[in-house]
Amino acid sequence: MGDDQVLEASQQVDFDNYPSGIVPIIQNIVSTVNLDCKLDLQAIAQKARNSEYNPKRFAAVMMRIKEPKTTALIFASGKMVCTGAKTKQQSKLAARKYARIIQKLGFPAKFKNFQIQNIVGSCDVNFSIRLESFQISSHGVFSTYEPELFPGLIYRMKKPKIVILVFSTGKIVIAGAKVEDEIYEAFENFFPVLTQYKRVQR
Amino acid sequence: MGDAYCSDCKKSTEVVFDHSAGDTVCSECGLVLESHSIDETSEWRTFANESGDNDPVRVGGPTNPLLSDGGLSTVISKPNGTTSDFLSSSLGRWQNRGSNPDRSLILAFKTIATMSDRLGLVATIKDRANEIYKKVEDQKSSRGRNQDAILAACLYIACRQEDKPRTVKEICSVANGATKKEIGRAKEYIMKQLELEMGQSVEIGTIHAGDFMRRFCSNLGMTNQTVKAAQEAVQKSEEFDIRRSPISIAAAVIYIVTQLSDDKKPLKDVSLATGVAEGTIRNSYKDLYPHLSKIIPNWYAQEEDLKNLCSP
Repeated sequence: MGDDQVLEASQQVDFDNYPSGIVPIIQNIVSTVNLDCKLDLQAIAQKARNSEYNPKRFAAVMMRIKEPKTTALIFASGKMVCTGAKTKQQSKLAARKYARIIQKLGFPAKFKNFQIQNIVGSCDVNFSIRLESFQISSHGVFSTYEPELFPGLIYRMKKPKIVILVFSTGKIVIAGAKVEDEIYEAFENFFPVLTQYKRVQR
Repeated sequence: MGDAYCSDCKKSTEVVFDHSAGDTVCSECGLVLESHSIDETSEWRTFANESGDNDPVRVGGPTNPLLSDGGLSTVISKPNGTTSDFLSSSLGRWQNRGSNPDRSLILAFKTIATMSDRLGLVATIKDRANEIYKKVEDQKSSRGRNQDAILAACLYIACRQEDKPRTVKEICSVANGATKKEIGRAKEYIMKQLELEMGQSVEIGTIHAGDFMRRFCSNLGMTNQTVKAAQEAVQKSEEFDIRRSPISIAAAVIYIVTQLSDDKKPLKDVSLATGVAEGTIRNSYKDLYPHLSKIIPNWYAQEEDLKNLCSP
């Protein structure tokens, strides 16, 4: 029941706020928080269950929790990076859970400066795109397309400052946003450009 | 003989140039207008069949505007024979140890020259690569990076700018120790540096399969007929939605065209000539197969020949 309501609500909002008719789905949110106390990574790695610490490879403990399904990088300075959450609330909840684990291990962890650093979204426009035409057009200044190096075109939008990866299959990845609205705004800005370079099959 | 203004006659008069004394003399009043003029013609007479190694007319190499002093410095070389004279044999060493602002540049230019020789590139591309390298070097921020990758990337960008692109794999083969990834990263870095330096004028076009056709075909030794067919096929294939790198498409088209001709090249040969892996050519063949009849030109192969082609 609840699911149906959510679906209907989103479809009604669709064409007013999202004239393109497609809403990008948020896939990943990266956030940082300062636990504000020096940590002993060796001790954490030994005591906590789902953690890995390989000082030769990387100077942080990697900890994972099942709910919300996220991964955290915890540094000796007390700073922590939390990745893998799908919504802002989940990211904050996960970060709090990690802070709780550190607290339980005996460190005076606090929750300072929780900030979302990066939001990644993706969507599908359902038509093939001619990537070569971007370079020649007026959007060539913003696009980088090197088929030998990477099959997708990298479009750096200036306002909002977002990076969009465009693939010839019609799949789009939007990254670099600090708030979710930037993702939607960027996609709405970009969609007309995409329709311009639709590949017409004969 | 010439006309100049004579201050005694107060008018323009005919003037005679006396070579023996180097004087410019007015022919009407005899006043010497200029004396001791410097003769700029050649000092030695040279004959066509007498060149040999010591042609005294020219000394040193061509001036290079990219180097700080135009390349006009003098180098003390090792003396002929073996003089165990301490002074003469160490003079060369001492000069080399002194500070030479251009040393790294000269070394880099030499490396670029070696690489472009191996690829058989014209001097235009080599000079452009040198220019690009100089521009990048001017900003000291490139010191920490892999120098080989930067030089290889300069050459790659120069080829692209002259509309004669070379695949990164080809550049890889002559660059010592730089991987495809490193060259790619260096190329992005250089593009950014060039944009910072020169405003927004760094334009390099996207690569197309057609740019490489001639070269790959001649590597394989294909006949003119097949080369033409392959080029047409590649042109037509751009309209279709084939999601592969242009090089892979080029390789697959070459493979198909040679299979249709009398001189069938095995997959291994095509793979070697283009630098594309055999598996990739097979996959690209699968992608091209549905559109074959529209891609291969009619004058080259008919429907029945296409049916003879093995289906993927």
